[in-house]
Amino acid sequence: MDRQDACPTFFIVNFRLSHIPSKWWRRAAQLLCLFIFLWLFRKTESDGSGSIAYGANIFFRLDPLVAASAVLAGVKFIAALWPALVTVALTLVLGRFFCGWVCPLGTLLDIASHAIPKSTTPPNPRWRVVKYFLLGVVLASAVLSCQIVGYLDPFSILVRGMAVAVDPWMNRAVTAPFTLLYQQTPESVSNFTEPIYAFLKAYLLPFQQNSFAFSIVSFVILVGVFALEFAERRFWCRNLCPAGALIGIFARFSLLRRFPARACGRCKAETDYTARCRMGAFNDRGLLQPESCNLCLDCLDDCPMDLPKFTFDKPKTAPAPFEPSRRLFLGSVVTGMALPLVSGAVHAARCLTADLVRPPGALPEEKFLDLCVRCAECMKVCTTNALQPVLFEAGLDGAFSPRFMGRIGYCEYNCTLCAQVCPTGAIALLPLPEKQKFIMAKAVFDKELCLPFKKAESCITCEEHCPLPEKAILFKDVEVTHPITKQRVIVKRPYIVWSLCIGCGICETKCPIEGKSAVRMIREEAVPPAVRNDREIMEMPSQR
Amino acid sequence: MKTTHVSAVAQTVTSNRRQFLSQVAAWSAGLLAAPPIFQVFPQSLNAATAEPLLSVGKGTDYEALLVKVFEPLGGIAPFVKKGARVVIKPNMSWDRKPEQAANTHPLLVKAMAKLCLSAGASKVMIFDRTCQDMRLCYASCGTPAAIESLNDPRVTCSFVDDRKFVPVKIQKGRSITEWEFYKDAISADCYINMPIAKDHKLARLTLGLKNVMGVIGGKRGQLHQGLTQKVVDLNTVLRPTLTIVDATRILLRNGPSGGKLDDVKELHTLFASADTVAADAYATTLFGMKPDELETTKAAFAMGLGQMDLNKVKIVKV
Repeated sequence: MDRQDACPTFFIVNFRLSHIPSKWWRRAAQLLCLFIFLWLFRKTESDGSGSIAYGANIFFRLDPLVAASAVLAGVKFIAALWPALVTVALTLVLGRFFCGWVCPLGTLLDIASHAIPKSTTPPNPRWRVVKYFLLGVVLASAVLSCQIVGYLDPFSILVRGMAVAVDPWMNRAVTAPFTLLYQQTPESVSNFTEPIYAFLKAYLLPFQQNSFAFSIVSFVILVGVFALEFAERRFWCRNLCPAGALIGIFARFSLLRRFPARACGRCKAETDYTARCRMGAFNDRGLLQPESCNLCLDCLDDCPMDLPKFTFDKPKTAPAPFEPSRRLFLGSVVTGMALPLVSGAVHAARCLTADLVRPPGALPEEKFLDLCVRCAECMKVCTTNALQPVLFEAGLDGAFSPRFMGRIGYCEYNCTLCAQVCPTGAIALLPLPEKQKFIMAKAVFDKELCLPFKKAESCITCEEHCPLPEKAILFKDVEVTHPITKQRVIVKRPYIVWSLCIGCGICETKCPIEGKSAVRMIREEAVPPAVRNDREIMEMPSQR
Repeated sequence: MKTTHVSAVAQTVTSNRRQFLSQVAAWSAGLLAAPPIFQVFPQSLNAATAEPLLSVGKGTDYEALLVKVFEPLGGIAPFVKKGARVVIKPNMSWDRKPEQAANTHPLLVKAMAKLCLSAGASKVMIFDRTCQDMRLCYASCGTPAAIESLNDPRVTCSFVDDRKFVPVKIQKGRSITEWEFYKDAISADCYINMPIAKDHKLARLTLGLKNVMGVIGGKRGQLHQGLTQKVVDLNTVLRPTLTIVDATRILLRNGPSGGKLDDVKELHTLFASADTVAADAYATTLFGMKPDELETTKAAFAMGLGQMDLNKVKIVKV
């Protein structure tokens, strides 16, 4: 192996400042970005003002993979995703720094690796091309309008796993002992514990306890990414992450390069620092692959010769060849294009169930699934916990997209938070007056369950909560025979004013009977004609 | 305590209250294995004065109006003693702005808090168990911001804490015999009931008696069947020290949540009485109704909770 002479450089990027190792800068950046990520995560909730003050979804908007697949599938220019261009631009200058300095999942994996014993089996470099395969599949599939980025994007996996599983479970675990202490111990004890609880509640805990269906699935996926650390350090980043693959492709053209690009003889002969590279970025001939190197700067500090540095000089040696072969690229595109055919068959076969309602402002179903990246931000921010993940109710390619469940929660009349946090506009951010007219669904009364119909008892809870200035639930006074007392009584029977109802679901949530609600949200086009024409429970415009 | 001025009945009420509060403390301390049910003996039923006093005033300066309305009642001193723990229970249940008349006006609540603080209250707690998301309701109704502007650490406007509901046996209850009440509300030295007068589809009007719904736990929707008697039963447990009704704006239609400004009528009126039934009876007249048209008023009167015959009520206009 040659030992490269130190050559005159135009600009040396060497982070060493007196005795501070370079990697401390990287660590500081990682911790800062992780802190910002966690802080934004905690801030992704309502404060009563009606808007989210901070760019809660900024990490999704910085992600070039989300941007690429959303734009391809949605066939539209999504202005909000412009930060992804900043990431690409910086990558073209600095290389794959995003994965080493910014990505919170990468930081968490690095932290976790301290607790995970180093694998004794040598890493298999053939895994590294899998991420390019996955990238090809995601993008090709997106072109044919089948959006699978939400299952493979690192932020989708991380945020969804945290939002639907980790955060609610953590909240339960932390608040339970404080509740127990508050309710079961004398005031002298709770005078001590309550201030601690108040502090936690103000800064670290979510405002309310949410619950999400199928949360274990997202949790297992998230844990799976961490479990891969047992096989190889940063297994996910090296081998699977399609966002990293995309960033890596741009990194191949970066202006900033490591010098020397090849591990020198001393390194190979003595301690083989190249094997310690957390990204396995040195190939079998000791040449650094720019698409794998995430600029962690460990090798700068490790080298006893103090030789390596990152510079903007034109490299003297040709870069390592691009790993994935043309065949792999073609294979990924073909697979990606085959996916929609499979799910398309399922699409055609399935008809959305009548009660699969989407959030307010959601685009029509096909477009919605094109743009939804399964990030779970909307589900997290919904103040009533009404948005829940589906599993396969919306088709094979609909998993983890949000559905609105009126029995669990309702859509607050003056709220547009879900649309505000949606990074791709799958839920369109409508001005409030427009959102207040957006038809999510229609309410339909079930005469078999509704008290005034079944038991001759007036109830009115539904009408009481209808938020519309002109209420969509009205009453007819009907004289009936009470089923038990057999007396003639006047009962207030509710009915829906079809033209006014926006399907916000508050009537379904507040209906006081046990179990299934007596008034339920049904997708507008799925309300059967028999119900539409039932004058006892529905007033159609033509009937006015 | 000047025993000469306290009637025998009031003494029984006080001693029952002490017993009641010590039971609340024991339950909260976990000294009882299962959530216990403890008795409340409302001996004060039928103790309503034969001629309750009701003070009513009109004005647009709400703080001055409040002080004026208190004058015939003897000011704030008969109600708030020095060092008292005061609870003010306004209506803050709906995500509505003050002009929509679904919640008690924030300036009135602020003035009430200020008055209690000036009387030497050690703590003034303001809360309501909202019907919609509490962050939205508290932000829209304007009361927390108004209280914040008082800049006094003794007064708080906090969210209802679900852990603080305690089960209470309603001994004289005809429809319900047990329900959860908010601990801070039932253990207050002075409980000021501060509703806004509104239309209500089921109850016809929601006034002082129904305002108790904001300090109870459980599934309130289930109370709507046979609402009248249930509201009255709840009021046998929680006897407000004072009921002061916000009629500065009343909601004529589409209550209790309202929404349309067309449904709001500005009256700039405020009235108060230690007798909640009398206050409700007077309120009905503002809607062009008679006291006996409201089922809750009638049922409450029948149980001896107060006086509904306005001829027997001493109405003082300020």
